Amino acid sequence: MRVGTVRHDPRGPGRVRRLVAVALGGALLVAAAVGLGTGPASAAASDTNLTVTMDGSGIDTLNPFLSFYNGALNTFGLIYPSLNSLGKDGVPGPYLAKSWTTSDDKLTWTFTVQDGLKWSDGQPITAEDAAWTFNLIMTNLTAATANGSLVANFASVTAPDATTLVVKTKQPQANMLYVSIPVSGIPIVPKHVWSAHVADLKSYKNETYPVVGYGPWLLQTYQTDQFERFTANKAFRLGSSGAPKFDTLVVQLLKNSDASVAALKNGQVADTSVNAKQFDVLKADTKMTAVQEVGNGWTGLEINGGARTKSGKAIGTGNPLLGDPQVRSAIHWAIDKNKLLTNVLGGKGVVGNGYLPPAYPQWSWKPAAADAVTYDPAKANSILDAAGYTKGADGIRVDPRTGKKLDFRLGIHSDSASDAQISQFLKGWLTDIGISIRIDSLSFAQLNSNLSRADWDMLMDAWTTGPDPTYLLSIQTCGTLPDDTGANGNTDAFYCTPEYDKLFAQQVVTLDATERVKIVAQMQDILYQANYDIILFYGDGLEVYRNDHVSNLLFGPPSSTGLHPAQSVFWNYLDATPPGAASAAPAASSSKTGLVVGGVAVLVVLLAGAFVLRRRSTSDLRG
Amino acid sequence: MSIPPDVLLGEPLAADPTPDPPSGASGGASRAGALWFYARKLLAAVVSFFITLVIGFVLFQLMPADPVRALTQGRPTSAAQMQALRDSLGLDKPLWQRFASFVGDTLHGRLGFSWQFQEPVASLVGSHLWPTVLLMGVSTVISVSLGLWLGIRSGWRQGSVFDRISSGVSLTLWSVPTFWLGLLLLVAFSVGFGPIPSLFPADGMSDPSIAAAGWPHVVDVARHLVLPVATLVLGDYALYVSIMRSSLIDEMDSPYLLTARAKGLFDSDVRRKHAVPNALLPAVTVIFLQIGGIIGGAVTVETVYSWPGLGYLTYQALKVPDLPLLQGTFIIFSASVIIMNLAADVLYRFLDPRVRAQ
Repeated sequence: MRVGTVRHDPRGPGRVRRLVAVALGGALLVAAAVGLGTGPASAAASDTNLTVTMDGSGIDTLNPFLSFYNGALNTFGLIYPSLNSLGKDGVPGPYLAKSWTTSDDKLTWTFTVQDGLKWSDGQPITAEDAAWTFNLIMTNLTAATANGSLVANFASVTAPDATTLVVKTKQPQANMLYVSIPVSGIPIVPKHVWSAHVADLKSYKNETYPVVGYGPWLLQTYQTDQFERFTANKAFRLGSSGAPKFDTLVVQLLKNSDASVAALKNGQVADTSVNAKQFDVLKADTKMTAVQEVGNGWTGLEINGGARTKSGKAIGTGNPLLGDPQVRSAIHWAIDKNKLLTNVLGGKGVVGNGYLPPAYPQWSWKPAAADAVTYDPAKANSILDAAGYTKGADGIRVDPRTGKKLDFRLGIHSDSASDAQISQFLKGWLTDIGISIRIDSLSFAQLNSNLSRADWDMLMDAWTTGPDPTYLLSIQTCGTLPDDTGANGNTDAFYCTPEYDKLFAQQVVTLDATERVKIVAQMQDILYQANYDIILFYGDGLEVYRNDHVSNLLFGPPSSTGLHPAQSVFWNYLDATPPGAASAAPAASSSKTGLVVGGVAVLVVLLAGAFVLRRRSTSDLRG
Repeated sequence: MSIPPDVLLGEPLAADPTPDPPSGASGGASRAGALWFYARKLLAAVVSFFITLVIGFVLFQLMPADPVRALTQGRPTSAAQMQALRDSLGLDKPLWQRFASFVGDTLHGRLGFSWQFQEPVASLVGSHLWPTVLLMGVSTVISVSLGLWLGIRSGWRQGSVFDRISSGVSLTLWSVPTFWLGLLLLVAFSVGFGPIPSLFPADGMSDPSIAAAGWPHVVDVARHLVLPVATLVLGDYALYVSIMRSSLIDEMDSPYLLTARAKGLFDSDVRRKHAVPNALLPAVTVIFLQIGGIIGGAVTVETVYSWPGLGYLTYQALKVPDLPLLQGTFIIFSASVIIMNLAADVLYRFLDPRVRAQ
């Protein structure tokens, strides 16, 4: 309630004018900021620039001996050489090493290193750089942090002269040519730079710019959690490929996919990965090219079929009923993978079968028609009926031996929308065959913690792999089970059979590529029958780039189903070319932006003027 | 950090109920009283900080903390390598030993070593602090100014059209999830829609093509600030509108306003010089709490706009979980809030004579 007589201050309009002036000034400043900032990239210089988005995991450290994150691994692939390249067909080829031979006993590899190559500071690149890098990882615990397992079978590495590198292994090593390849292998670093940092390797961040290296690109700067800027290494040569066609490369870290798409649409970046819904929308945009790539990973359902330690002792709280192969088999028959693919990925993927994804066709495996498991709930029910599991009054089956229900926990990643979708489908399908599911939505850390302790029945799982499948195959071996304390384990699903282990050991030493593929196929067959990992689907890689910013970014050609081969940033950014005469679009956009900004500024001025005039004309009435 | 308005409406920072030593008429006794007041507040702040440290440590220990699988990102890593990594992270040490080194390190100003970034936490916090302070500082200044201004106008003319529109709009925006609002602004003003072209960048704090120095850099950072600041301001200013409005309405019936009017003061002077200073006290509490929370950043907004600040750093730490980084940022956030509470207590003594009189 207002009390007292109200008197209005005749100075009021003066203050209003000041306020209006401040507001006007602010509006014009914003307009100036927008106007000044419009199209800085296009107006910067005559240099051609390619801006792309960084892998979502970002960069943990630029020290290649310590780094695990994909953003950093991609960077090393661009700025450091490796012994071998990985061809666009997924097969290793020459890089620093121009040729190689193996001894008759398959224990000695002799690489001939290219002569005449130089680091970016002008020092020659020799075999000694490679020998020093490998030896450091073999002998220094800190240096072995990220890549120690890749040289675990190395007995010695020497460089008898500048162009010869000799690697002796403890036993034959089939994946030798994958040990040092761009991105997923060991990068070779310049000895004359890194030898000064052995003592402080743990804390050395490798942020002295430009970073001394040799690759298609030279790293000029990294702004933490923002972007990396590279310049093209004009001296770079690899086979028929010369230096990059762009002058500079910017890799930006965008922390969510909506921001990535926004940046793509407004021309801030030329290329980004997208999800299925964004792909469908952007596909219709004539300024963009949307490409599906064959997937290099799978999404699967992991089943705890009876967790054991290395000594065979039971561990964890997994439901023992899942130890029955018939129950696991029935679960597999009850899953409609086609429906999952359609509903979860919008059809952008391939129905899952073998343990290794289709990105590297040499390893791809499918079950024989007679062994293939398809969606068949009637068969799933009959398997469980035959195994003696009878349905109770509530429709849930009961084990006649223990009287316990087929009631399992399903752990899913709380931050994964696809896990949430899949789990609802699974719940419905498994209920139809008399199995009840309790969905536990868990953080990534909690899920991993439960996995290690075997405190789970079923989990949603996903893996990607590089071109060499050794590691992915290894996590199904008995050697990765934990010890009796529950520690020292690295198993994926507590799977362990002597038959699989024998084949694993065999493929590791089989240098004949064809023979190795056959062994790996047998291993995948065993895993398929075991149903510890039911592979649901392999999601396609989805990429969209702007035609007015870049050409020749992705390599192909697409398969009959329209899928491009698995891509590699090494080749993508090396081959990418600036578009011919398509650079008019940003300028048009700038002028349009200028018009709108100018219009808004004029409107603000007019409104402010009208407001002041009105205040003046009514000031007598108000006070 | 956001505080629901209903929690704070009209409640000034409570004066400490413990009575001060009796104050005499002499200036010496008054100074002693003031010193006693500050000493008690400081002691309370120190005790709060240590209790927070213990709670923080216990909470983080309850988290599932085998980060090795998350850290290695599925890279080829043998079980022995993983165990070596666990040993190097100190995960196998007994709990009491970890607590002792945590407290010891904190007292010595060391915040630990991040597991995932392999870098001292202090250095990581240092590199992420400036972007967060810039973002949150600018947005807080604008939110406070706008909120208080609107709150004063609305409260003074309670029930007017201006009040109804201002309160309705601010409360509607307050109710909108910040993440969603951020995405809407991103789509509207970064991508553009209809005749409106792209006006502001979608991401980050600066444009890689512009040198990180001089006027062009300032303008560039300002451009990148506009959308995240707008998101934060639109989401937060209602807090100040509500507090200021309700606080001013509480003062409207006060006899001193009648006296002021009876003296013949202009209405604007009655509002500005008499009503607002008294109504401002609850807002001061909230403002200082907000300033304390500035360091904590805004995880959602920093994520939507890829802003390289402490909020996003904390999110990255949570995902692994990177316990040293989490504990380090927790210490910084806690210290910041406690210091700002202490500052609010001290300021209250100057602003409110009743606190001095106690």
